[in-house]
Amino acid sequence: MGAVVNLRDVRQRRAGREVLRLDALDLEAGERLAVLGPNGAGKTTLLRLLAAIDPPSDGAVLVDGVSTRTGGVALRRRVAYATQRPGLLHTSALHNVELPLAWRKLPRQRRRELATAALEHLGISHLAGRPAHALSGGEMQRVSLARALATEPSLLLLDEPAAGLDPESRSTFLADVEHALADRATTVVHVSHRAEEALRLADRVAVLVAGELRQLDTPSALTCRPNDATVARLVGYDNVLGASIDRDGAVRVAGHTVGLSSAELTGPATIAVWGAGVRLNAAGVGGLRRIVTRVTPGPGRWEVALDGPDQLRAYLSRRVTPPVPGERVVVTFDPDLAAVIATRAS
Amino acid sequence: MSDPLHEVLSRSAAVSVTATLIAVLIGIPLGTALALARLPGRRLLVTAVNTGMAVPTVVVGLFVALALWRSGPLGNLDLIYTLRGMVIAQVLIATPLITAITMAALQLLPPDLPDQLRGLGANRRQLVVQLWLEARLPLLAAAMAGFGHALSEVGAATIVGGNLHGQTQVMTTAIVEDVGRGEFASASAYAGVLLALAFAVNGLLTSVQQRGATWARS
Repeated sequence: MGAVVNLRDVRQRRAGREVLRLDALDLEAGERLAVLGPNGAGKTTLLRLLAAIDPPSDGAVLVDGVSTRTGGVALRRRVAYATQRPGLLHTSALHNVELPLAWRKLPRQRRRELATAALEHLGISHLAGRPAHALSGGEMQRVSLARALATEPSLLLLDEPAAGLDPESRSTFLADVEHALADRATTVVHVSHRAEEALRLADRVAVLVAGELRQLDTPSALTCRPNDATVARLVGYDNVLGASIDRDGAVRVAGHTVGLSSAELTGPATIAVWGAGVRLNAAGVGGLRRIVTRVTPGPGRWEVALDGPDQLRAYLSRRVTPPVPGERVVVTFDPDLAAVIATRAS
Repeated sequence: MSDPLHEVLSRSAAVSVTATLIAVLIGIPLGTALALARLPGRRLLVTAVNTGMAVPTVVVGLFVALALWRSGPLGNLDLIYTLRGMVIAQVLIATPLITAITMAALQLLPPDLPDQLRGLGANRRQLVVQLWLEARLPLLAAAMAGFGHALSEVGAATIVGGNLHGQTQVMTTAIVEDVGRGEFASASAYAGVLLALAFAVNGLLTSVQQRGATWARS
């Protein structure tokens, strides 16, 4: 059964500086929360609080109603924390996985069963007898995950588990993580600074910036309605630029209409546009006038870079003939692939 | 003429092995605390340990002798010119070395390893034991260095033990005495046996250590 997690008025200070400020954050049993944020946002600080490694400077962190201040080893043994570096010990992969079970005084036979099952679940049972330090990066990460899962935790904390892996290994590893978690009721908090990882594994995503919770939403809501420019960049919008909204709702960038409108907002705003939502029109149509600076083939698309202060990027289907560098174009945006955001300090 | 070789050899081995074991029991926990705990005055303690490594053994012998002397603060224990007094001196010689190497070994482990182990449910004792196992190669090196230091020193052994025949004469003091008398053959025999003893004990520890190293490399 997954743990219920509640954070209330949590403040964490380091060397007199507040590094995390969370008024409230609640996780239901079995929920998967991704924490997305840039380096230094307080993601690992949050995990350390949840793992009961650090007590909060102020406020309360509760796991199934038990405070991490007072829960002691008993509480920590319901949580498994896999740090960014696998932290494997100089012994066999199997013994690495068995060790936390030995700390919990499980009988030898049971330890062996659980560790073997965890390795099998991640498709690495063939590595059981290998020295952990002779494994590749991806294999180490899998052993680290198997070690965390073997303890059958109520709360699993993953700190950038795919960091340091090349893109192909990362994708495979994340698929394995998804598979390993598929039939478990464990509550999971997964930290990442990569949107594609966070969105892939989560029921909800918490975006942390400079120690503050900027947005807490489902992956779908987060990608469609980011709260501010920083969140929009973090979730992967290719173009984020300043705009203004007329009283009639028309969105203007540098005084030009761009094919967007807003029924709710007026005044200064931010717009976020996916690269696929940037339309390049022939000169003469209303929009932003730009010059193509570079065209590069991308995965299933043409990636077009445009000049100008906003450094726009457009992704075009490989079915169309791309513009050539130096060509003049007029840019508008597809309303279905853009978000209009009320401007706030970020 | 010095004591028979086998007597001196067994005395040397007993004193140095005992001193090393006691120094390991003190030095490894102390080095661990200095490496992991946030102790008040930690920097001062580390400086004291590092200074302890540089103190000449004859100075250690002097201080121990002053403490154990019959009119000294520990004179009533009647330990001057005894093997137990020599063990105390050798413990004081070996402990700083073992402490410092332990501290350095644990500080060289990945800095997030303790948190990783805590995050997997280790209590404090399990955490420390696991860190020792992880640093077992340098910790064995610390024990070897401590033993070598204790076995080879002559200054403290002479001052605290007095090189009394049949009682406190050990290999190093016997060598010094024989050289002083011009009995180089006897001194050389002692030296050869001393080297063999050092080789045997360190060979045993090295085989344990390198078994671990082979595993770590493979």
